[in-house]
Amino acid sequence: MSEGSTTARDHQPLLVAKDVHRHFEGMRAVDGVSIEVPRGQITGLIGPNGAGKSTFMAVLAGTLPATSGTIVFDGRDITRLPPFMRARTGLVRPFQLPSEFARLTVLENLLVAAQDNRGDSLFGALMGKRYWIEDERRLVKQARVLLKRFGMTAKESDYAGTMSGGQKRLVEIMRALMLKPRLLLLDEPMSGVHPKIVEEIQYYLQDLRSEGITILMVEHELHMVERLCDSVVVMAQGKVIGSGTMASLRKQPEIVDAYLVG
Amino acid sequence: MNLYYGANLLIYAGVDIIACLALNLQFGVSGIVNFSFIVFQAVGAYTAAVLSMPNDKAFGYDFQLYVGGYQLPFPIPWIGGAVAGGLLAVPVGLVVLRKLRADYQAIALLVTSVIANTVITNARPFLNGAAGLALVPPPLADQIDPNTAPYQYFYVGLTILAVVLVLFVVNRVVNSPYGRSLRAMREREIAAMAIGKNPVRLKMTAFIVGGVIAGFSGALLVGFIQFWAPSVWLYPETIILFAAIIVGGRGNNVGAILGALLVPVGFEEVTRLLNNAPLGLPAGVVPALEWVAIGLLIMGFLWFRPDGVRPEPRRVFEGGPDIE
Repeated sequence: MSEGSTTARDHQPLLVAKDVHRHFEGMRAVDGVSIEVPRGQITGLIGPNGAGKSTFMAVLAGTLPATSGTIVFDGRDITRLPPFMRARTGLVRPFQLPSEFARLTVLENLLVAAQDNRGDSLFGALMGKRYWIEDERRLVKQARVLLKRFGMTAKESDYAGTMSGGQKRLVEIMRALMLKPRLLLLDEPMSGVHPKIVEEIQYYLQDLRSEGITILMVEHELHMVERLCDSVVVMAQGKVIGSGTMASLRKQPEIVDAYLVG
Repeated sequence: MNLYYGANLLIYAGVDIIACLALNLQFGVSGIVNFSFIVFQAVGAYTAAVLSMPNDKAFGYDFQLYVGGYQLPFPIPWIGGAVAGGLLAVPVGLVVLRKLRADYQAIALLVTSVIANTVITNARPFLNGAAGLALVPPPLADQIDPNTAPYQYFYVGLTILAVVLVLFVVNRVVNSPYGRSLRAMREREIAAMAIGKNPVRLKMTAFIVGGVIAGFSGALLVGFIQFWAPSVWLYPETIILFAAIIVGGRGNNVGAILGALLVPVGFEEVTRLLNNAPLGLPAGVVPALEWVAIGLLIMGFLWFRPDGVRPEPRRVFEGGPDIE
């Protein structure tokens, strides 16, 4: 393959949403949103409450089907794919709400998300432990690296349901990382989390970006957005009203108005 | 204790253990509240019966009306029973498990159980209606006389083999990465979907595997009691099995076995003995009280010991940090 074609692909956005609508019985929660998410960057999605940010994220993840419009992920039209298939292609959305598997241990919460375990099928299970133990060992190792990185090594055998809110958030993020995501959709990853953990999450997000993972995140804390995001998309009343760097957005009075008034 | 009574008790225990292991896979591990479980046992029993019986025109069988009657040799009727349980799970699962919310699934399955029983009771030409099928030939009856002591030992041996086989299969499933996916789906379906699990497929698989095992348990039972009728698979039978799982410990195969021994076997035996004892109670009081007791048992456990006698084990992996 020539160097040129790789570069061309790398310059294409990882995700392209075109004229995406999501209506709820006449209410246009998402009203013709088109955005592009560049590869290897952190893109922020901001806007007042009720702007349709979370609905749009849910449409991207597939939990809510789009009323109309197209979503292309890495060159593939995924508009009609069910959410679990989108997750398998690398488009992963951890939850805004705590969504741990309470009666699985923290380590198991991570392991269960791995896609490449031979024992994770009825056939594999019936073949017995010898058939899948190598995969399991490899994944346990991988999960323990994450646990260490997130400072939760000591908790690996505790039930996830017994974790604190902030720890559950970390479990959620680690679980998403076990999926080897290419695009992480994060909906206010820092909300309701202790300031110390907020700082940690920030570092991890930057680490992830340097590892080549693309991130699209909804965030209310503007200084956080300023620090983390390479570019920002502003939504209000279901539409995109602007995009660019935070600095360039601050210079546009109508955007400042929409965001502050909303 | 006489041999026939002992054999009877052991075989019922085996059948109940197998049924509880199947229900534990569906309910305890995967979270499917299968209130129609007994129907799957029944379809296995009916299938095994009509596969092993001669047709309903044959001498000695012409007082009954039923479809089939193929006189197939053992173990074909048993395999047929297991397959029938799995096959029935496909349409039922597709209708119930795809779109409905979990609580409505439970209701739909309960209704399925009632409908199935009513239909079989009233559609007499199909499986002889309320009177049921009698004179079902026991396995290998042409080689060993079923009315002898050796046959009792033989059947107990078969039952033990069947229990070991089923336990082997469910242990592999439950203690594998696949079992972990099933438990994750049980805990939070929507989050499981977010990490790439297909919950419909996971549920269908657990439902079908459970159906196969349930059908197998029916075949095993009908081969021994040689009779099968709607009165033995009324929907409350499923409730007894649920009680067993709750008492034994949801999600734990050992718990399911314990539950099977404590509730369907233990309770029913105690009731039967009390009923025969000269207590001076009016007829029917003891069996009625049995239902009260089972209801109290379920409530008591859910209240005071919701995880059962043997709770689901916490999976600790080798090489981790020492805890405590």
